Amino acid sequence: MSPETLPVDANSERTGVTPLAAVAARDDSEISQGLAEKPVFAVRDLSVHYGKSIALKGVTMDIRPRRITAIIGPSGCGKSTLIRCFNRMNELIPGAQVSGEILYHGEDIYASGVDPVVVRRHIGMVFQRPNPFPKSIYDNVAFGAKINGYRGDMDELVERSLRRAALWDEVKGKLKKSALDLSGGQQQRLCIARAIAVEPDVILMDEPASALDPIATTRIEDLMQELKQEYSIIIVTHNMQQAARVSDETAFLYTEVDAETSARWGILVEFGDTGQIFTKPRDKRTEDYVSGRFG
Amino acid sequence: MRESFHRELESLDHEIVRMGALVEQSTQMATTALIECDKELAQKVRDGDDEIDAVFLDIEKRSLTLLAQQAPVAGDLRLIVAILRVVNDLERSGDLAYNIAKLAQLEDFCQPELKAVRSLVAELGHAAAKLMGAAIDAWAAKDDQMAAGIALQDDVLDNLHAKLIERLVDLRGEESLASAIRLAMVGRYLERIGDHAVNLSERVRYFVTGDEEHLG
Repeated sequence: MSPETLPVDANSERTGVTPLAAVAARDDSEISQGLAEKPVFAVRDLSVHYGKSIALKGVTMDIRPRRITAIIGPSGCGKSTLIRCFNRMNELIPGAQVSGEILYHGEDIYASGVDPVVVRRHIGMVFQRPNPFPKSIYDNVAFGAKINGYRGDMDELVERSLRRAALWDEVKGKLKKSALDLSGGQQQRLCIARAIAVEPDVILMDEPASALDPIATTRIEDLMQELKQEYSIIIVTHNMQQAARVSDETAFLYTEVDAETSARWGILVEFGDTGQIFTKPRDKRTEDYVSGRFG
Repeated sequence: MRESFHRELESLDHEIVRMGALVEQSTQMATTALIECDKELAQKVRDGDDEIDAVFLDIEKRSLTLLAQQAPVAGDLRLIVAILRVVNDLERSGDLAYNIAKLAQLEDFCQPELKAVRSLVAELGHAAAKLMGAAIDAWAAKDDQMAAGIALQDDVLDNLHAKLIERLVDLRGEESLASAIRLAMVGRYLERIGDHAVNLSERVRYFVTGDEEHLG
């Protein structure tokens, strides 16, 4: 966690708002002292509209720190919409509107005056397809830090990030080579290293292994277990077994359909300990979905 | 959709019911063979144990295949775990009925002085078979309330067993001693079949409720 205090926005209408970096840093120390565990995110009655149609309705959940939280559900249930709310990525889609609250360490990330760029610096994201820049391995990792004006030892930062992403041993002799020459699995770990290099607090992963082969998938899953020692991870996955293997908590989203208008939107059906979701789900719809009876 | 997986799981579920019915029948037949000194019937029970063992191996193998290949979760996982536990209880119960049949062939318990004891063994055997039948009914219906009643019914079996031992202790005469020991063993076997029926009912409760307290 960066100790620096970032301004929210010079034009903030709110007063007394604690800057995100300071909030995150404060909670980090509290956690390390073993004090009461506060959620990283408190989601309250979150809904998302795209234009006039609703995509996600009334989601309320807490994301706990240093855990892997999986979001599962059938296609079109709003999984990606939900994960993109956590770092305000939905705003990049024209017509998207978010209502309700997402409190990040107690601060509303959608409050007027909060800079989405600052939000995304604390809450990194890894996408379905590895998307390294057409630059060297080194530059890919250093990119975010350079933009943020990092003044420390860049070589050290690149090495540390690559080590954390379990990629260092494979690339240490070819840091100046193009990132595009790496295998798909290596490229995805490079993207994770790139996300880590800006010292985020949370890593969002939108189907991070769906384009990878089984061995590369296993490496990503192992890596997630390492990363959760330091980061909170939220993962969207279509692969239920992956959710069962890697996550500590699981959220099951489901599509509701309006009988008259055929409008469809996602709702959160059940959220709980992954062991419980996969052995004795409370809701029949969860049971039917995880056991493959629909979807 | 996992239709073939669910069909296979349903088939295993039915096989448990079939195996339970075989065990219930064996228990009743072994008891009858013993109290009526019917060595032929005893042989039928012994032969029938091969079928119970074959069903046991088949269910176990198919359940392991489903675990390995289908990664079952939620109710499906609980059902397979319950099947793998129950199949052992049934196989053991089948062995106990086999042991009773073997004793029925080894010795004639039709002496007049054993009449009262025979009647108690008959009662015990009938109660054990009935309890097993009730447990299997609860399994087939996946009814945790029915299953909860099984443990209470087992008390009847335990009381009959205690009564049988008392009666055997009261027997006099050297000739009766060997018979008394063997009949005490029969009583123990039937009482154990009751315990396996109770285990089975616990698995039903685990499957239905998912509560680990019923796993033990």
